[in-house]
Amino acid sequence: MRILLVEDDPDLGPALAKALRGENCAVDLAANGVDAGHLGDTEAYDAAVLDLGLPGRDGVTILRDWRAAGRDLPVLILTARDGWSDKVAGFKAGADDFMTKPFRVEELVMRLRALVRRAAGHGATRLECGPLAFETQTGQFELDGLPVKLTALEWRVLSALMLSKDAVIERLALMERVYEGDADVDSNSLEVIVGRLRKKIGSSLIDTVRGRGYRLATPTPR
Amino acid sequence: MRLIPRSIHGRMLGLSLLATLVALVVAGAAIAGVLQRFVTQGLDQRLDAELSLLAGAVDGDGRIDRARLTRLRGLLDAGPGWQWQISGPAQTVSSAEFPTLRTPGPAPRDALRGEGKERPQPLEGRDGVHARRISIATDAGPVVLTAAAPRDVVARPIQAAVVPLLATLGILGIVLGVATLVQVRIGLRPLRALRDGVAAMRRGATSISEAQPDELRPLAIELNALARDNASALATARASAANLAHALKTPVATLALTVRDDPAQAAQLARIDATIRHHLARARNIAGGHASSTALAPAIADLVSTIRRLRMERSIVIDAAIDPALHVAVDAADLDELAGNLIDNAARHARTTVHVAARVDQGMIRLSVVDDGPGIALADRQRATDAGVRLDEREDGHGFGLAIARELAALYGGVLVLDDAAGGGLSASVTMPIGTAV
Repeated sequence: MRILLVEDDPDLGPALAKALRGENCAVDLAANGVDAGHLGDTEAYDAAVLDLGLPGRDGVTILRDWRAAGRDLPVLILTARDGWSDKVAGFKAGADDFMTKPFRVEELVMRLRALVRRAAGHGATRLECGPLAFETQTGQFELDGLPVKLTALEWRVLSALMLSKDAVIERLALMERVYEGDADVDSNSLEVIVGRLRKKIGSSLIDTVRGRGYRLATPTPR
Repeated sequence: MRLIPRSIHGRMLGLSLLATLVALVVAGAAIAGVLQRFVTQGLDQRLDAELSLLAGAVDGDGRIDRARLTRLRGLLDAGPGWQWQISGPAQTVSSAEFPTLRTPGPAPRDALRGEGKERPQPLEGRDGVHARRISIATDAGPVVLTAAAPRDVVARPIQAAVVPLLATLGILGIVLGVATLVQVRIGLRPLRALRDGVAAMRRGATSISEAQPDELRPLAIELNALARDNASALATARASAANLAHALKTPVATLALTVRDDPAQAAQLARIDATIRHHLARARNIAGGHASSTALAPAIADLVSTIRRLRMERSIVIDAAIDPALHVAVDAADLDELAGNLIDNAARHARTTVHVAARVDQGMIRLSVVDDGPGIALADRQRATDAGVRLDEREDGHGFGLAIARELAALYGGVLVLDDAAGGGLSASVTMPIGTAV
């Protein structure tokens, strides 16, 4: 799960990015409106956390421009403005959720997960694929009812595969969802992560589609 | 008692009526004076004519020709109270010596044009009569001729004229009064229109027409400038509140992130946050109360769709059917706060459904938000709208949404009433002033 975090406060931005990374998210931090608009236009994110009062460009303007350009990534507005008029304006500009500062990180993460899950087309909060289950609200994976311990990178790959299970995710698209924008990525690292995942959840669940990418396939009942 | 009436209407009317009254009294006195002069002149002419007849009966030696007087009797006698006297050096003859006779004799002409005669003079100082006297010089000495008529002769026609005169003047006064009344009413009509314009501003119009009479246009321009100043002061106050919110909340959010693993510090921070929220909401309320006209239906529709998304996980049905013609005289941001808090509170506590409705009730618009949740016990209802009290501690949120709604409603002269809903749950209804459709 890769998040675009737009926050101009020099203390809150890095602190929140750290907290989100602690919840297994890849986070790109934009500290002004211009960078935020540009990143949202060019990079692939599962969701964006958008502050409204920003230097450069106002959050609502950025959001409106994204929507006008057909960028449909889920956007959660996180702002100090807590008036109902601000909330209405935010949703009208195309926001998917709205939280006011100060906030609980747990709630923010839960809401982000719900946004990403709904954007992937899942109504239920618990996703299953054979013996593997994904509790989207807590972010917990279970294998045969037992929790699976994953590193952040493994979690990002598996959650991306789980959210679009039975469909092929292009290798490049998967890379984009897993690594932060400024990460120094080894081209083989994705294979390494998938290899480790196969060891943890069983090799049969993740298919390698040669020349394209990976797929989490529901096992056919024997 | 005030000498000068409080209303301009009264002042103009009073002044005008006073002027009319003075004018009528002066006119009445002048007309009466002229009338009296005419009547007196007529009488004088008649008495002078009589004197000239009498003069014809006096010869050059100062003797009085009684035979001639006898012939003149019919002419000299005009009725009771009319008298004459010829007073010569030798004798005095008066009308008392001649019995009344009805047959008039021929009238002498130019009798008074002889030599040695002066013009007759008025004779004053005798009661009840109006007299003229002339003195004729004769060889035997001056002969004094006097003719008198009762004063009634002068007074009667004046008295007869006074009643129609007064009636006419009275009618004139009434006509002038009515004209003044109409004029004042028409004249003051722009003032009333201006007052209506200001009232409309209070109900939400942004400005009043500056197409006013010359005397009122500067006032209208000043009023519009005042309204603009107020609006910009309000915007500044709102912006300051928002800036303060931003300035305080972001550091608090940062702190909350860093101390989230320390429950004691997190609790302190939660108190700080609650205080900030509380006072910012109050500040926003104080800055509010600026009447403008806001269409109710679209505002509620926006709020409902916003709250549906914010409370998406609860799957509450919020149904709102608002007459699109309804406008409230409430600032758009204040309406959002007021209705947003009520609907959100209902959506937070409802089991399945929230109903939002609005209707005109006793000159106000009553917005009611009904949920099917647990409701609020009668004993807790007053407390629920007290600022800072949160009955439901389980969830995040303002907690004093109902208090904010109540304060905002009061700011616009409305009231928030909490009641049991028909099927259990809470029914919150708030009254707001009616706005003008723009």
